[in-house]
Amino acid sequence: MKIVDFRIPADVKEARSILKDLGPQGAPLAGGTSLGFLPGREPKVAVDITRLELSGISRENGTFRIGATTRIADLQKHSAEGWVLDGVAKRLASQQIRNMSTLGGNIARVFPWADFPVVLMALDAVMAVSGDVERRIPAAEYFASQPTRFFGNGELLTAVLVKAIGPGQGFGYRKETRAAMGFSLTTVAAFIELTGNAIAGARIAIGAGVPFPARVAGVEKALIGKVGSAEVFREAATQLAGLKFKGSAGLSDEYTAHLAQVLVADALADAWAQAKGAKR
Amino acid sequence: MSDLKPISFTLNGESKEFLVSPDEMLVKLLRRSGYTGTKEGCDEGTCGACTVILDGRAICSCITHAFQAHGRSVETIEGVGSFEQPHPVQQALVDEGAVQCGYCTPGMIMAAKAMLEENPRPTDDEIREHMDGNLCRCTGYEKIWTAIRKVIGADGKVPNA
Repeated sequence: MKIVDFRIPADVKEARSILKDLGPQGAPLAGGTSLGFLPGREPKVAVDITRLELSGISRENGTFRIGATTRIADLQKHSAEGWVLDGVAKRLASQQIRNMSTLGGNIARVFPWADFPVVLMALDAVMAVSGDVERRIPAAEYFASQPTRFFGNGELLTAVLVKAIGPGQGFGYRKETRAAMGFSLTTVAAFIELTGNAIAGARIAIGAGVPFPARVAGVEKALIGKVGSAEVFREAATQLAGLKFKGSAGLSDEYTAHLAQVLVADALADAWAQAKGAKR
Repeated sequence: MSDLKPISFTLNGESKEFLVSPDEMLVKLLRRSGYTGTKEGCDEGTCGACTVILDGRAICSCITHAFQAHGRSVETIEGVGSFEQPHPVQQALVDEGAVQCGYCTPGMIMAAKAMLEENPRPTDDEIREHMDGNLCRCTGYEKIWTAIRKVIGADGKVPNA
């Protein structure tokens, strides 16, 4: 991205007005750590949105409200009953990147390797977008295709709402990288909830290695009514077989498909353990 | 060529004003302003040689635009310790012989300093998490690890190294 000018607004109203005036030339900038990956030589005016009081984590009635410009490092360091994003955050890139990158930046434009889209789909998060009216967009709709489509006319992602994990619910997250701080080759998030001893609901999402992060309905369906075991999870993961995987960095397409199945089964095992009351 | 614009930030405790190009990275601004202790390595946020502290957090100055520092506080290696009175992290690196070519060292020191100021008694896992963005291609990390653990008063043994 070619940045030819910058603006530093002090609140959401000013930021929205600047972005509206700039139109397509305006580029909201949070941490800015992904700018190098954005192609295009058309001149852009960066609008620094990190000073709009959109950072921080609060909790109301079992739901965490995470400001859009909350740094990944703050997700990493947050600790609360039912909070699971710390485990996701600490696997993202390096500490220097986590100190700059924001949750909103990770999901306002989805890069193929991004981790939080799959996590927020599995957790059924809701995105708050400030426009002339504030919109609440559920993850399934928000991530159905590139979310930049929601930010046309000075609209800004302001917060992400994530329900705390409760009793009888579990979350699992796995990703594979070439080196510890590398980009995801495959990234998987799994949420399950139990009725009695059986799985009554499941949301599994997968990213990287596939064209765009998405829920995998076949796997979810295969889990309903089942009592968790390594075998059940391996069997459910075979439902990925219909998806087309693309290898990268020395990994064949076939190996990536195999890797995805292993990671789904592992994430499910973690989710099951948590739902059964294991300490994270 | 974009027009230069004024910005200001606190650099090592002193208020400073700069004229910057909108696409100029913080590391370039620092180095052309004489703060050459901050090193340029990979230029893509991978190696950590360019680490500075921005508002208390270690960041890569090679992927941070200079204007993002406007109104904030930046600390570079020039603001840390002196020959007469080195910072405890600097002294520990010297004592352990944890410096070979030295190129990664300023970044290592800034990352360790930011970590210790936020959390003076990090666990081994926390040290690993916080120092994971600083690459060293000489030492194999063991001596650096030992030095940081000595600063916090722990023994220098490397667990599961």
